[in-house]
Amino acid sequence: MVLDKSPRLDSVFHALAHPARRAIIRQLTRGERNLTDLAAPLKMTFPAASKHVRVLESANLVRRRVHGRQHLCRLHAAPLKDAVQWTEQFRKHWEARFEALDSLLEEMKSDEHAKPRPR
Amino acid sequence: MKPAGLQISTPTDTTIVLTRAFNAPRKLVWEAFTTPDKMRRWMLPPPDWTMTACECDARVAGALRLVWKTTDADPFISLHGVFTEAIQHERMTHTETMLMGSGQLVGSQIETHEFAESRGVTTMRITQVYVSKEARDNAIASGADQGMEAGFQQLDALLTTIA
Repeated sequence: MVLDKSPRLDSVFHALAHPARRAIIRQLTRGERNLTDLAAPLKMTFPAASKHVRVLESANLVRRRVHGRQHLCRLHAAPLKDAVQWTEQFRKHWEARFEALDSLLEEMKSDEHAKPRPR
Repeated sequence: MKPAGLQISTPTDTTIVLTRAFNAPRKLVWEAFTTPDKMRRWMLPPPDWTMTACECDARVAGALRLVWKTTDADPFISLHGVFTEAIQHERMTHTETMLMGSGQLVGSQIETHEFAESRGVTTMRITQVYVSKEARDNAIASGADQGMEAGFQQLDALLTTIA
């Protein structure tokens, strides 16, 4: 039952665990962004944003190139896809149970309506 | 109208949060989660597992006990817990420990269920708190195993429609 866990997946989960880093990833899905532009909506200083991007870089989710004074960041989606596929199995397990629960609840609602009304 | 589907998130290193909406009053959803004969109907175990015991006393200090067997082992795995919080139809928290039939500890967590109802739709939120990041990640990994069979069944169903 225990699967071999890639250390790579560990670092991806860690990278995704912070809301600021998820916000950075969401922005990068729209294309390459300057680090200053990534920091602005998060109301974050440049060094703070840079620290988050470093975490994303070590998870191999973001690649940075320096162009003069600009730090340009681009999303590298492959590790994200691996992590998503892994959690998809967990999701399917729970979805199957909740779908069975949907059916049971329909039955329970019918049973409630079939009860004689109190006089 | 189909209510909001399952959302899964990992807001911290040691938690998993699941939210899902159901087209039913909160009272019935609570009953489905806490009454053993209802729980058995939807808490589908992995293939080859059979539930041999299901006890649930959803009151503070009440016990939770679920036991499964397989063709090779009886019991195969069991889940034990105690309710630490129970506000009927609204919120409950229980500890949870999973043990192999041999007695070996698989893992433990603290689980909270919250139910909110609006216009006949109940939104459920389950928060699972694990002792460590590794334990939390292992929980997701074991779901991966179990989910695979469901995935194959879905694939079979899809293949019959396109054959």
